[in-house]
Amino acid sequence: MSSDDAGRWLPIRLAGRWRVHLRTHLIVFIIVVVTEAIGKRTIPLGPGQIVLLPMLFAVVIGIGISYSVLGQYVAPLRRFVSEDVSVLSAPLLTVALLPLGVKYGTLVGPSFADLISAGPAFVLQEFGNLGTIFIALPFALLLGLKREAIGSAVSIAREPTLGIITDKYGIESPEGRGVLGTYLVGTVLGTIFFGVLGGFAPATGLNPLALSMACGIGSASMMTACSASLATAVDSVPKEQLLSFAATSNLLTGITGLYMVLVIGLPLVNWLYDRLEPVIGGER
Amino acid sequence: MATRTHPLETREFTACALLMLVVVGVITLVGNRIGYDGGIVAAAPGMALIIVIGLASLLLARFAPIELPAFAYAMIIAFCLSLPYSPVQETVVGLTKPINFLATTTPILAYAGLSVALQVQRMREVSWKLILVACLVFLGTFFGSAIVAQIVLSAQGII
Repeated sequence: MSSDDAGRWLPIRLAGRWRVHLRTHLIVFIIVVVTEAIGKRTIPLGPGQIVLLPMLFAVVIGIGISYSVLGQYVAPLRRFVSEDVSVLSAPLLTVALLPLGVKYGTLVGPSFADLISAGPAFVLQEFGNLGTIFIALPFALLLGLKREAIGSAVSIAREPTLGIITDKYGIESPEGRGVLGTYLVGTVLGTIFFGVLGGFAPATGLNPLALSMACGIGSASMMTACSASLATAVDSVPKEQLLSFAATSNLLTGITGLYMVLVIGLPLVNWLYDRLEPVIGGER
Repeated sequence: MATRTHPLETREFTACALLMLVVVGVITLVGNRIGYDGGIVAAAPGMALIIVIGLASLLLARFAPIELPAFAYAMIIAFCLSLPYSPVQETVVGLTKPINFLATTTPILAYAGLSVALQVQRMREVSWKLILVACLVFLGTFFGSAIVAQIVLSAQGII
């Protein structure tokens, strides 16, 4: 157990804190009741559809009513949905993920044979995560970014990448600012982004099984939003199979992601930067 | 707020974590009833099993020498229990069946949304250029994996 991990759990203690607990869980209870009553909505859009699941409404409402969004303007709301509530919600997120983890396990276990036969695809698609470098780095350079581009484009920047870049360049460096940017955007907007993307992606013509593997990007909540929307949008493949493929791919990314960035991603992005920057970097 | 800097003792951690799991379990059961017509009584035994596995996962994440998140432990334990070779496969799969997968996701994202508020201010300071690049990173990592998976799965004749 690392030392910051120990401090992370402090908010869940009960002694003298039952009011914060009561408020926090009551707020979540109300959000769940309201969003489940709204239910799932699908909006046709061009060749595909936008799938809006209760979880997507829940994350939008949660951010919206918090002390740093609507609470900034509405004092009574800020007193009820206080900063304390957000602080307690952080470790509760880890707890709330566990029932989902168990559900995923019970979906994956029985279909173990399918997973083994798709083994080569699971392993190789991990390298597909590097695809982001070839797309995002040139774009970042065209926008006029310099070394920030390295940190921002190297990967989807979940905690392992954040650790590597911070370790190597320092968090105050341009590279550090870049990786922190992608990390923060992912934390705040990632689930919404991938929830919409997962529902719309079948319109590209890619096979749902391939798309379900792609949903496993190394963040449990983003993968969940992505694969649940995908499974809702697709009828041709059993839901359970899509969900279990996504969960397995996510577990794999969780294990390999750090090495992928450290051994391949970071050298590759630096190599590409040195080639591209003189050409499209511009003067600034 | 009381200021305490030393970490929770194991006993206090276990007790608090168990209570938090029960709270999340109750919220999930109500969501499961409203959104997916799952009976609360029918789903309660499955939730009890989930809470037991959940507590084991939190303790493993705290003490096991392998550094994996609790979510990964929960998934791996449930996975092993529901393998075709497992003697308890039918029990585990049967007990958790009345709990809809989506019902477990809504409380997660409610807590996630609330906790994200802690980062919102910092995100407002991120330049619009980095926000655009981040969106492209999301698309790149997603379609990069999807295209490789598509090629390999078709080469294997699976799709």
